[in-house]
Amino acid sequence: MSVPAHALVADELQPIHPAPTSFLRRYLFSEDHKVIARQFLWAGLIFLLLGGSLAMLIRWQWAYPGRPVPVVGRLLLGGSGGVIGPATYQDLFTMHGLIMIFFAITPVLIGAFGNFIIPLQIGARDMAFPKLNMLSFWTFALSQLLMILSFFAPLGPAGAGWTTYPPLSTNVGTPGAGQTLVVAAIFVTGAATIMGSINYVTTVIRLRAPGMTWLRLPLAVWGMWLTAILNVLFVPVLGSAALLLLLDRSFGTQFFIAGAASVRGGGDPVLFQHLFWIFGHPEVYILILPAWGIVGDLVSFFARKPAYWYRGSVLAMVAVTVLSAVVYGHHMFLTGMSPLLGQGFMLLTLIISVPGMVLVFNWLYTLWRGSIRFEVPMLFTLGTIFVFGVGGLTGLFLGDISLDIYLHDTMFVVGHFHFTMAAASFLGLMAGIYFWFPKMFGKQLDQRLGRVHFWVSVVGITLVFGGQLLAGYAGQQRRLYDPFEYTFISHLRGLNRWTSYLAFALFVGQMVFVWNFLASALGKGRAADRNPWQVGTLEWTDAASPPAHHNYDHIPSVLRGPHEFADPAVRQALGRDWIGQAEELPDPVASATGRA
Amino acid sequence: MRPLPAAGPAPARVIPHPEASHAVTAHLGMVIFLASWAMLFAGLFFAYGLVRSRAAAWPPLDQPALPLALPGANVAVAALGSAALLLAARPLRRGDPRAAARSLAAAALLGAIFLALQARVWTSLWAQGLRPDGGPYASVFYTLTAFHAVHVLVGLGALVVLAWRAWRGSRGSGRPVPARLWTMYWHFVAAVWFLMYLTVYVL
Repeated sequence: MSVPAHALVADELQPIHPAPTSFLRRYLFSEDHKVIARQFLWAGLIFLLLGGSLAMLIRWQWAYPGRPVPVVGRLLLGGSGGVIGPATYQDLFTMHGLIMIFFAITPVLIGAFGNFIIPLQIGARDMAFPKLNMLSFWTFALSQLLMILSFFAPLGPAGAGWTTYPPLSTNVGTPGAGQTLVVAAIFVTGAATIMGSINYVTTVIRLRAPGMTWLRLPLAVWGMWLTAILNVLFVPVLGSAALLLLLDRSFGTQFFIAGAASVRGGGDPVLFQHLFWIFGHPEVYILILPAWGIVGDLVSFFARKPAYWYRGSVLAMVAVTVLSAVVYGHHMFLTGMSPLLGQGFMLLTLIISVPGMVLVFNWLYTLWRGSIRFEVPMLFTLGTIFVFGVGGLTGLFLGDISLDIYLHDTMFVVGHFHFTMAAASFLGLMAGIYFWFPKMFGKQLDQRLGRVHFWVSVVGITLVFGGQLLAGYAGQQRRLYDPFEYTFISHLRGLNRWTSYLAFALFVGQMVFVWNFLASALGKGRAADRNPWQVGTLEWTDAASPPAHHNYDHIPSVLRGPHEFADPAVRQALGRDWIGQAEELPDPVASATGRA
Repeated sequence: MRPLPAAGPAPARVIPHPEASHAVTAHLGMVIFLASWAMLFAGLFFAYGLVRSRAAAWPPLDQPALPLALPGANVAVAALGSAALLLAARPLRRGDPRAAARSLAAAALLGAIFLALQARVWTSLWAQGLRPDGGPYASVFYTLTAFHAVHVLVGLGALVVLAWRAWRGSRGSGRPVPARLWTMYWHFVAAVWFLMYLTVYVL
């Protein structure tokens, strides 16, 4: 078969570079997007485990406040005889939040999957700027190192909450070097994110294979691309906030300090909240858009049907991206914001649920009457849809000002954002890991262990975060060291204790995944086929498992969209229910006459 | 029965030259980077606006007003630097690295003048008792101008390297792309300075 001219041009524009041979260039300072993806995956999963362990300590405190932590207590908290003290408790929930958001979910969902699937799914040989990509990972690794170092600082790591609100986060509230290190880590990780995102945005615009039009992109690429745009535009705003906070902490400037400690009236603590949430609200969509994209593709792949209203899903994700930039005020309803402004933010916040619902309905319609294959990635996809539904609906409560006045700063908020940012992002990224693991490592994960992991995760997550919602609705404030000191919360001790037991079970259940992952990635797991899921996107149809250093010997010429399932013409010609994005369909007339 | 949707050959394309294609990619990356950095400065300007709107008096009665002349001259210096870089583009395209090196060096010199003038502004205000920890007025002034100066310094370093390479005719001197990217960067830094001059010094 002759190679079309435009494909040759594409080959020439991205020449094949020989794979590096030295260990250092191949595994450590690699410019290969697939290696960098695996580096992000390992770095992120290790921190996911660390963040989860911190959560267990928090849950212990809520179950048995003031009692020594069993097993690890004496080791970690020798000074207090294993008891979690109030300051340590603050450090725990602060570091749990920051680690999970910036150093676990972000690197896995965006760093690992973005790096892995963007070039492969658009039919490119690598990112647009491979060196920048390498720099992005090592900058990120530096930020992780700063986080680790902060644990060893005198007075402990950061303790001002993940939102790092001043005046608590200034020297007045948290004088230790740990808080400074953590703010610096946020700034550095922001720089790493920006480098990666510049790469993602440019790569999708410039390096799509011939025929890979915008509306033939897999939804996962759309989600990743829109996330990258939000990262490029809004992470710098967080950078400005972190920069000003660092200056306040280290050079005595007066941006956020107010009250008695200030000079000449000082600045305004609310300024930080503005800057933080201008970034922070896009951030929650930054963490969910990649998962939405993955879910959009996977429901189609495993329901063996074209994605319902693909354009609608794309438009909805674009709409969410745009709207996410103008709703941040709903985090600040109780800062004395003008009621008129508050109502504007409330309206925009409630409007953003419309494109969200378009996505959910598109997924449900895709499932409707499909021949669903309940493989492990599909189970996690369905779990994502469920927990995201719960998270989205509870968001409507909080977006409404009159209800938010009651629910603000309660465990209801904690439950809500755990259902969206933690549960949906976590299950989404697990769907991605189970789905792309064969392509990433060339081995299969054990599917039976995967099923066990799924059921433990989805049931555990729902009950644990559901317990938080209930506690919050009953009036339990978040971040309390010993909530049961308060008479109006003391009757919630049983609920908290049971939630903690379930959280411990959830954590232990994750060890099934740890074992499965390590055994398959490092051990002699079963070799994966080229296309074990029988789907049509380029990484499965046109590249080996794992792909060669240059991904594609010839850059594929794309002919159709990513979700071509159950087409009678394809079934007649090829005898299967799927066709590759770059696969030529034999001429039906010729094959028909051939049979006759 | 549903027809096979959107199946068809890839649309014909104008065949680009690899070098030109890579240049477009690099420029796009630079535009995205500058958009990102513009948001960082936007965050700082936002902070300036909010802090200033809360202040009872601006400048505070016991603190010096900011000068207008030297920072204003720096608007011209930065603009001249941009102009010098525009002049470097043509000889680079023609393949005359020596001529380009002269323009690049001129731009670098203008960058150094910019920093010198800005240092003069800082020292004179410092001598009048304005310190970064002297309240919000001093904080925003020093932070915004110093953060901008860091960007000038980075640009200055890059221009010196580019000029040196072009003069020596060494590695990379034949490629106009790095110089064009740093030209974009310099335009950005100059434009931010113009806005900063209007916001911080004039208004």
